[in-house]
Amino acid sequence: MIVLRSLLLLMAVGLLVQGCAFSRGTLGDDIGSEAVAAIKKGTTTKAEMLALLGAPDRLLQVNGRDVFQYYRYDAKVGSLLLIIINFSRFSIKSDDLFVILNREGIVEDIILSKRTDGLEFRFWPFGE
Amino acid sequence: MKLPMSRIYPMLFFTVMCVTSLGCNVVRITLNTTLTQDDVAFIIPGQTTLADVITKLGTPDSITDSYQGVVATYRFLDMKYARVNFGWLLKPWSPFDPDLIISRTGLGVDAFELLCDSNWVVTHQSFLRHLSGPRFNPYPF
Repeated sequence: MIVLRSLLLLMAVGLLVQGCAFSRGTLGDDIGSEAVAAIKKGTTTKAEMLALLGAPDRLLQVNGRDVFQYYRYDAKVGSLLLIIINFSRFSIKSDDLFVILNREGIVEDIILSKRTDGLEFRFWPFGE
Repeated sequence: MKLPMSRIYPMLFFTVMCVTSLGCNVVRITLNTTLTQDDVAFIIPGQTTLADVITKLGTPDSITDSYQGVVATYRFLDMKYARVNFGWLLKPWSPFDPDLIISRTGLGVDAFELLCDSNWVVTHQSFLRHLSGPRFNPYPF
């Protein structure tokens, strides 16, 4: 009887769950932790920084200083396709690196935040 | 065999739920983590520095210059989309695929902005819009 019920339950789940999908999209290259660690405040020059990280995605002039911004976006999509209802959840997060250079072209500060490390595939659209 | 009412009601409820939710799509798109007033309550204008904010909230999405200092912006999005296709009700009996779709999208775009002085001390802070957050509601009218 238990086997029959389990089979029926499995069949019901099989009929209801039409399929599921995983998709992923990224924009930009990964910001290498080693390259960022090699940049030293007060000593690394603009040329050395460019050699390590390449050209910035955005160049800003803020507070009398040059700010080089590097970013990367990561998107993960999980879809649960049922016969009567479909659930999808897109989660997008970014990694951002700001390198602040003083007037002499020396690195004054580095600000890095990697939000994509904890990015997961999610299906359930409700709640948090 | 006659089914007892206690078994008919759950079956009836399930059938009604299936029929009314035919062809439903529920989609949610989140960009970055949504910030709330509680998340930014630690910021005290005139005392908190941008470095303190970055330690707790991470890097901003953009930093721009202004006449009175630097503006740091944290952007986030919590989009909710719900769609129901009532045309699915006729599919078993129709030679073509009829559609009667209602849908609604709540964008939930917001940003948190900080104005810092030349010493990177926060002088002003505010959310761009004060959204309570959209709900999943396919009714567009």
